[in-house]
Amino acid sequence: MEPKVITLTVNGRKHQVALPPNITLLRALREYLHYTDVKNGCEKGDCGACTVILNGKAVNSCLVLAWQADGGEILTVSGLGTTSNPHPIQEAFADTGAAQCGFCTPGMVLAAKALLDENPHPTEEEIREAISGNLCRCTGYGPIVEAIQIAAERLAEGGQK
Amino acid sequence: METKDFKIVGKVTPRKDGVARVTGQEIYSTDVILPRMLHARTVASPYAHAIVKSIDTSEAEAMGAVVITFDDIPKVRYNERVITVPWVLHKDRYVLENRARRMGEAVAAVAAETEELAEKAARAVKVEYEPLPVVLDPFEAMKPGAPQLYETVMYGEKEIPVVNNIACQRELVEGDADKAFAEADIIVEGTFDTGKIYHAQMEPKTAVVQPEPNGGISVWATVQSIHNTRIVLGQIFGIPLSKINVHRMTVGGSFGSSIQMNTVIPICAALALKARRPVKLMSTREEDMNDHTRYPMHMHLQLAAKKDGTLIGAKEEVVVDIGAHILQAYSYLGVMVGWLVSLYRIPNIYYRGVAVYTNKPPSCAMQGYGNPQVTFAAESLMEELAEKLGMDPLELKLKNYVGLGDTFWGQGPMVRSIVRSDGVPEMLRRGAELIGWYRRQPSGSQSGRYRRGIGMARGFHTSSAGAPKPGDVIDFSGAMVKINPDGSVDVVSAVVDHGGGTLEAMAKLVAETLCVPLDKVNVAPAETTSTLYDVCTHATRGVYAGGGAAVRVAQMVRKELLETAAGYLGVYPEALELKLDEEAGEGVIFCPAIPEKRMTVREVAHRCWTDSWKTIAALDSYRPTNCPPAYVSIFVEVEVDTWTGIVRTVKAVMGGDAGTVVNPDMAHGQLEGGLSRGSGFALYESNAWDKDGALVSKGFWVDAKTPGITETPPLKDFTSFFATSYEPTGPLGAKGLGEAATNPVAAAFANAIYNAIGIRFYELPITPEKILKALEEKEKAQGAAVAQER
Repeated sequence: MEPKVITLTVNGRKHQVALPPNITLLRALREYLHYTDVKNGCEKGDCGACTVILNGKAVNSCLVLAWQADGGEILTVSGLGTTSNPHPIQEAFADTGAAQCGFCTPGMVLAAKALLDENPHPTEEEIREAISGNLCRCTGYGPIVEAIQIAAERLAEGGQK
Repeated sequence: METKDFKIVGKVTPRKDGVARVTGQEIYSTDVILPRMLHARTVASPYAHAIVKSIDTSEAEAMGAVVITFDDIPKVRYNERVITVPWVLHKDRYVLENRARRMGEAVAAVAAETEELAEKAARAVKVEYEPLPVVLDPFEAMKPGAPQLYETVMYGEKEIPVVNNIACQRELVEGDADKAFAEADIIVEGTFDTGKIYHAQMEPKTAVVQPEPNGGISVWATVQSIHNTRIVLGQIFGIPLSKINVHRMTVGGSFGSSIQMNTVIPICAALALKARRPVKLMSTREEDMNDHTRYPMHMHLQLAAKKDGTLIGAKEEVVVDIGAHILQAYSYLGVMVGWLVSLYRIPNIYYRGVAVYTNKPPSCAMQGYGNPQVTFAAESLMEELAEKLGMDPLELKLKNYVGLGDTFWGQGPMVRSIVRSDGVPEMLRRGAELIGWYRRQPSGSQSGRYRRGIGMARGFHTSSAGAPKPGDVIDFSGAMVKINPDGSVDVVSAVVDHGGGTLEAMAKLVAETLCVPLDKVNVAPAETTSTLYDVCTHATRGVYAGGGAAVRVAQMVRKELLETAAGYLGVYPEALELKLDEEAGEGVIFCPAIPEKRMTVREVAHRCWTDSWKTIAALDSYRPTNCPPAYVSIFVEVEVDTWTGIVRTVKAVMGGDAGTVVNPDMAHGQLEGGLSRGSGFALYESNAWDKDGALVSKGFWVDAKTPGITETPPLKDFTSFFATSYEPTGPLGAKGLGEAATNPVAAAFANAIYNAIGIRFYELPITPEKILKALEEKEKAQGAAVAQER
């Protein structure tokens, strides 16, 4: 099949890109649009490192074809906050040591974002459920759960974002 | 300097690269994109053992791909890991092979404009194979008539034959083990097996190589040592090291998986040199799972003791399946006994170890380099011994452990030093209290569906491979430190940080030494052309040895700073002091006797600049002459569901002795991560191969059973603490930690399961299937015994 021009709105910025049908959203973002903050961990849906938020839902971008995301709104971790103005979830991850090597972090942060958008006051059990599709080999997960709890508190206090 | 006077070291501070990590701004090797870069793929053997008869590359080349095969690569046999001195280094592999010895071995590689085209071109390379018989079991492999992987390998510059697939063997005798066993009051023994598990680092190994106009290459790749990578590339491609520039990258976890120069790097280099364009080669997860595993262990261990619990002898026999290529098997055979005699004082030893080739992924170091395996066996047998003697295991262990003043084998028999810091008694006492050690019930006394047990184990890891004299293992680090005209400080070091905060620790150590605020100290980006040699971030040496080099150099800079200031102030340097003025946010040099004689660090550095004089700087190499043990203890409570066989972690308490703890929050993180990886090794993770040598998991990561959040206890059920400790040979009292954190974990789980159900497991992982089977057998045996009594 011939390539088709599709439209992806990434972090509020509209991209038009011609892609063949077998390109995953992960590869479209990383290889074609150079959003390298979306991490490629396994390309099999095992690890969750490539998690992005597509139309409000956290998805493994390696399991979505780019054509399926045509016209979609995508949020990656670099769109959530910046080094000078990080999102409270990102701040909490940095504060608690939830990021060691940092390779799972973009996916973890976005899984947390999707959770807190739907459920601003999650229990520890609900947090565990929300990140159960994301692997981390460094931290043993405790600091990540703690970061999401702290982020929830800070978001409730500040109310912004 | 007293620990309590530290202004920066030991304080929780925001990690310098923390915000970059959480906002996706860190650049890993996988993220490197260069102009006109090609994408590469390897052509992987679908056989675990086969000769390549012919390769037809025409179709791939017609697609526009650049293709390399065995014919295109330098005919140099090499070892990916060059930590061992060259004259005793085994070398058995080529960049591409014309005979595959494991599933997925690269026999050709392609580079093309896009990843998709590269994948297509790789599939279009036609390879004709002659399949050979496969041997997967090390015992089968040692039998005469078994399929042979190698006729010869290189040993230094000599070609040596390989007989019965035995890569190397090692024997060690200390004292008289037979005599000790004859005189023993009690002997315990067991045969232990541990799995050939997957490192499961998050980042797939990647290389980007750019050919340079001067005939050299620039390399961005996933490695734990940029300098050793450079040295191996120089050996293979015959390029002077000055023209090979390997950049330090952010590493997405490693756990030993990149302790060697990775397979993808020279393949990528060969492609780039042929294409004369930059090339990127990223492993797929499946390729990565075929590329490396932990060393599995088969060990028969016997311990001999006197009635009072004093250990007097050990006999240990080990068979190690090293897979298809040798990395560091000879040293590994050394540490298999080294870890044992560094856990406990055992005067009489007989040891024999054999390393065997099989058609499986190469075994390489994985957190602990054999230490978790040995500690599993040793700490299981120590519990058995305690039970037989009617002693509290804690008392038995405290009676025999290698501690303060004892000789310690940091690695194998060649690396010996004296223990000078020891938090073990404090750790065991406090851990026992926190878990409630004395409430544990007699092992196997419970009935009912859910049975709880408490187990403990202690362990350690060496900090570096430092030793009083040169040995087989290379171990030194360099550093450069300079003060800039604005008073900020650059630390230049080739040490690689796998994510645990090694470079953060280095910045803190330098800031503390120079009395400069932490935010003014920056660890510079590193590449091989502008850094001094650093051996590798391995052997838990990053902070101790890499940080040791940085502190040594910072002390030289401190001396020069004071001498320079003395000249400007007209006083003797010995009359000056240096302190951090936290309010002003600057280091201050002052003469206590004459208060007006005072300059800030910034003023001195600035004056040196405006006077057109100099940069206050120093550089040096540092060889540690010790390798102090970082001790870790773990107490764990488990609940065994006797209907399903599932083991749940109820509570875990970990204690660490890392000397001065430089980054407290990150150090606690090391312990918690150690629990997770250790529990995976103990309970879940395995790798299996079918009869053809293919991974049963087919490269699906979840099938390797890497622990997820569901295998992790809730926050309130994990506690970690550090012993009060100061290592006199370490930088500002610090020693290592990282690998120590996983070493005793599996043994603690095995002991806790024994306490819960009265069954000891000698094979990891202790899966629900094994537990159910053992419970069933135990019930049958008890039933038979009851029937007999009647």
